[in-house]
Amino acid sequence: MEKTVMIVDDSASLRQLVVLALKDSGYRVVEACDGVDGLSKLDAGRVHLIISDVNMPNMDGLTFLKEVKKRPDTRFTPVIMLTTESAADKKDEGRAAGAKAWVVKPFQPQQMLAAVNKLIQ
Amino acid sequence: MSMEAALQTYFTEAREMLEDMEAQLLEIEHQDADALPETLNAIFRAAHTVKGSASLFGLDGIVDFTHVVENLLDRMRDGDVGVSPELVSLLLRCQDHIATLVDETEADGEVSEDSRILSRALIVELGAYLDEGAGSASDTSGLPAAGKEVEQAHDYPEDENDDTVDNDCWHISLRFGRNSFRDGMDPISFLRFLENIGTVRHILILDDWLPDLADYDPEDCYLGFEIRFMSSATKKEIEDVFEFIREDSDIHILAPYSRLSDYIDLIESMSEESDRRIGEILIECGALTEAELAKALALQAAAEEADQSRRLGEIVAQDDDRLTPVVDAAAQKQTQMRDAINRKQKSLRVDADKLDHLINLVGELVTAGAGTFLQAQILGNAELIESMSKLNDLLEEMRDASLKLRMVAIGATFSKFQRVVRDMAADLDKEVDLAITGADTELDKSVVEKIGDPLMHLVRNAVDHGLESSAEREAAGKPLTGTISLNAYHDSGNIVIEVGDDGRGLDPDKILAKAREKGLVGEDQQLSRAEIFDLILRPGFSTAEQVSNISGRGVGMDVVRRNVIEMRGRTEIDSAPGEGTTIRIILPLTLAIIDGFVVGVGKAAFVVPLDVVQECVEFSEVDQTERDGQTYINLRGNVLPLVNIRHRFGVQGERPKRRSVVVVKAEGQSVGLVVDRLMGEFQTVIKPLGPVFTGLSGISGSTIMGSGEVALILDVQGLVQQITRGERTAANH
Repeated sequence: MEKTVMIVDDSASLRQLVVLALKDSGYRVVEACDGVDGLSKLDAGRVHLIISDVNMPNMDGLTFLKEVKKRPDTRFTPVIMLTTESAADKKDEGRAAGAKAWVVKPFQPQQMLAAVNKLIQ
Repeated sequence: MSMEAALQTYFTEAREMLEDMEAQLLEIEHQDADALPETLNAIFRAAHTVKGSASLFGLDGIVDFTHVVENLLDRMRDGDVGVSPELVSLLLRCQDHIATLVDETEADGEVSEDSRILSRALIVELGAYLDEGAGSASDTSGLPAAGKEVEQAHDYPEDENDDTVDNDCWHISLRFGRNSFRDGMDPISFLRFLENIGTVRHILILDDWLPDLADYDPEDCYLGFEIRFMSSATKKEIEDVFEFIREDSDIHILAPYSRLSDYIDLIESMSEESDRRIGEILIECGALTEAELAKALALQAAAEEADQSRRLGEIVAQDDDRLTPVVDAAAQKQTQMRDAINRKQKSLRVDADKLDHLINLVGELVTAGAGTFLQAQILGNAELIESMSKLNDLLEEMRDASLKLRMVAIGATFSKFQRVVRDMAADLDKEVDLAITGADTELDKSVVEKIGDPLMHLVRNAVDHGLESSAEREAAGKPLTGTISLNAYHDSGNIVIEVGDDGRGLDPDKILAKAREKGLVGEDQQLSRAEIFDLILRPGFSTAEQVSNISGRGVGMDVVRRNVIEMRGRTEIDSAPGEGTTIRIILPLTLAIIDGFVVGVGKAAFVVPLDVVQECVEFSEVDQTERDGQTYINLRGNVLPLVNIRHRFGVQGERPKRRSVVVVKAEGQSVGLVVDRLMGEFQTVIKPLGPVFTGLSGISGSTIMGSGEVALILDVQGLVQQITRGERTAANH
């Protein structure tokens, strides 16, 4: 079955790159521009994995992550946090909030694909 | 979708981010301390996204510069660096510069040499603030050994890509040749000379090669240095410092933000020392953090092992799915508030060309519908007419709805003036506030695009001439800070845009005297107050005693008038001496549709914009008088010049016995258009004429009638101008 990945990032070009990286390997990618958008799109259909930026307007990535982990239907959905944020405390906070992995920008498309493959299989 | 498309998205996005950044920067100076952290965060985020996404596409020119800006913004966010007007100005210049870098990268694929130089200059300026935050004084003179350690504010721990190292300094590894002293070189003089082209941040003296005392030769040089060097100089310039010792000594220079792999190369090339040792030196010197070194060594090992293969993005897997800690109520409330904001802004980005295409098609559809309805009426089939009229209603609704798609809020256009006003106020040494209201008012995108220039002239003029100098304001008992106001609102099918100031106001007598002097108004001609104010928008009119480089040449205001008329709009001016001036631009909501009045001449149809039509009267040739080739009739005691459309456009065909005059008014002048038939009102979609016809006078566009025939839209302003010009020439003869 086709797996759905959600990318939540305020940068449209970054989202496009993620789509480019994943769609050829048979993933369906849903795009959301921030946490609030992400949550509303989670209502629309099942998502198998979420990739989320940390620093975003409206609702930042960590709040979004916490919200995702609160919902019964998305509690166990793996989340990859995506950021250039170097601060270790953010990383720990993300880990504590239930992020499965952490990918550092800039990344190569294959790296993202490998990370997604690893978590989704 | 391809990489190119993604790149294109990046450029668009970067520009938006930068606009946003500019708006927020301008905000900083006006807001209270509570809102500051959120604004700083928004500015940081903009820079962060511009840099982050640029790095995905390998746009190093943008990344390298923006990274430094981002660093400073991060420090401001943390409160390490205070906000000051000078700093905001610097950041605005940086924002402009990033925009240039983006433009150049899009146009040429790379950043120009000039911009690289500017990048370096700006980085040096930014460096001064970064130092301030680190609590380090700029006094680094004296013996290099006393150089100061500067804490690195940022590091990239544990990322395993071949990242750039977060070090804004050059790193110089220096091993003097054994014979340096014998060659007459003084190592310390080189280091002192370095201070001429930059600042030595940290220096580490290596004494590893000092032999036991028994073996020590005082004429041998055993010295080595590791230097962290802050400078805007080029690598060549730094290399040149060491020109005389280059041959015998071991010199390695790494640029700021070098890649980790460059450090690895450095570590490898220092063959006489163990890897561990040089690594430790680099850390001690502040060039690398421990994490970076660990990563570098790991990469080095991995490269040796696995034939240069680099590991994939880091994945920190976690064993359990621990549940989230409870988010406190305050955070939740904040989220709800943001939800509300977000709902308001929920929008879909659509390419403007696609939208125009859709609107065009809908326009055609409406026309085709009208044609079909006509056929149905000819056939006289009641059911067909019934269903056709239902269809037509829907089509018209659809057209209105699709035109609404192109409506955008004017706010973005308005907020661009924050910067203009700020810069001008600084130039003119005035204190000026910009007050924006009605930013949500929507108008057609094509109008928004065209209104920018006229507004620019009006705002500049208001700041320069409208507002008095601070001294004059004080003398007049007004608040020292002048206010420029921008306002927009809808008014019965029109949009009104106001540019106001609370300055000295217009003096009607002075304007009239000036106009008479310039020959724009006859000596005995009486003008109303509104007509006098209107004179300031005439070509070649300027009352400013002193023409400054900002405005006052009487060119700009003329442009305003012309652009507004081109958009089928008009201007109104209100002013009271001592209280200020308000210039109002009144525009139709959309440029795509006009309410037209259709007239027939011979077999041709012409559309007259309905808003200029005053009345229609019967035409009789008997009443007509002719003078200097221009015909006139007497319309209730007033002289009405006539334009015979048949003659003017060379329409063929039989002249009917009964003809009509459509009285139109433009630019305060009434003119009668002589036509064969009056065909009624008709809402019509304007189609621009092809480029071949751009020079055509008297015609502003075309439209397709319900019957499928093409009708030309008359340029009434143009026709009226021709008549007034003709009268003036005739009068001069």
